[in-house]
Amino acid sequence: MPGRDPHSGAAVRIRKAIALVNSVADEAGDEEITPTEIAEAIRDCLELTDVDSVPNVRRYLGEALDAVSDGMPADFVAMTLYAALGALREGSPD
Amino acid sequence: MKSAEGRGRTLDEAVDAALIELNESRRNVDVRILTETAEETIVEVSVIDQEAAAGEPAAPSNGKAETARGLVEGLLKHMGVRALVSVRSGSDPITLDISGRDLGALIGWRGETLRALQAVTNVMVGKHLAEGERVIVDVERYRQRREHTVREIAMRAARQVKMTGDAITLDAMQPFERRAIHLALEGDPDVTSSSIGEEPERRVVVGPRKPAEG
Repeated sequence: MPGRDPHSGAAVRIRKAIALVNSVADEAGDEEITPTEIAEAIRDCLELTDVDSVPNVRRYLGEALDAVSDGMPADFVAMTLYAALGALREGSPD
Repeated sequence: MKSAEGRGRTLDEAVDAALIELNESRRNVDVRILTETAEETIVEVSVIDQEAAAGEPAAPSNGKAETARGLVEGLLKHMGVRALVSVRSGSDPITLDISGRDLGALIGWRGETLRALQAVTNVMVGKHLAEGERVIVDVERYRQRREHTVREIAMRAARQVKMTGDAITLDAMQPFERRAIHLALEGDPDVTSSSIGEEPERRVVVGPRKPAEG
């Protein structure tokens, strides 16, 4: 489809992972998100082949996954995921 | 009386330049146009709020808040964004207000850029904060306005639930918006709120409170 962002699938999955992390950070107080769920959401992103079509996206996602495993603060994980989203956006055609 | 001279291509740019130098908000100042040509406008901006003029901090003396404010100010400067960063008075948690002109890009799609900015800020300020303590970043009171809007939506939904007795499912919202709704309705004896679905499609359901819950 002309003008369609080929990386939108990856962007949607990264946004889902960010939403989970933000939910932990912002404490809406209406759900329990475990690190396992966040790690799973990031692994879902890594499974997409289009993350390899843009430089650094896989690297940032890997760093975010490591940050979850290492118990880093939610904001740090969010920041790394935003970096992945930003790299994806920069690598997308206008 | 504190005052500063501002120069810019337009009146707004000139006023903004002076406001940044004064570290003041637009509502606390008086503006006098010194010269205005097609190429350049020069203004004199004077602080009219006496408390502000005396240099009284906007919030109770808080080293952490000032550290956060300085870091965000530096970050914005590196980003090439001309804006004023201030600490919201009497706010807990620490809230930084960013104000200026054309800051829509700093808010982004559904507040995404603002949320990213807040994440970066908390990572930068993290070592100065206590366990669980966080800094909230707001641009042109976007977050505050959204909270106000969703509270109004919650009240409207509550009125409808009371009339019809049927539960209402609201649109998907961010965590801070859902929290605002839960807080707005927690004191209502007739309705209750809960959330369903998974992020980022998680939605608040407003329904009648069952007698056993009351």
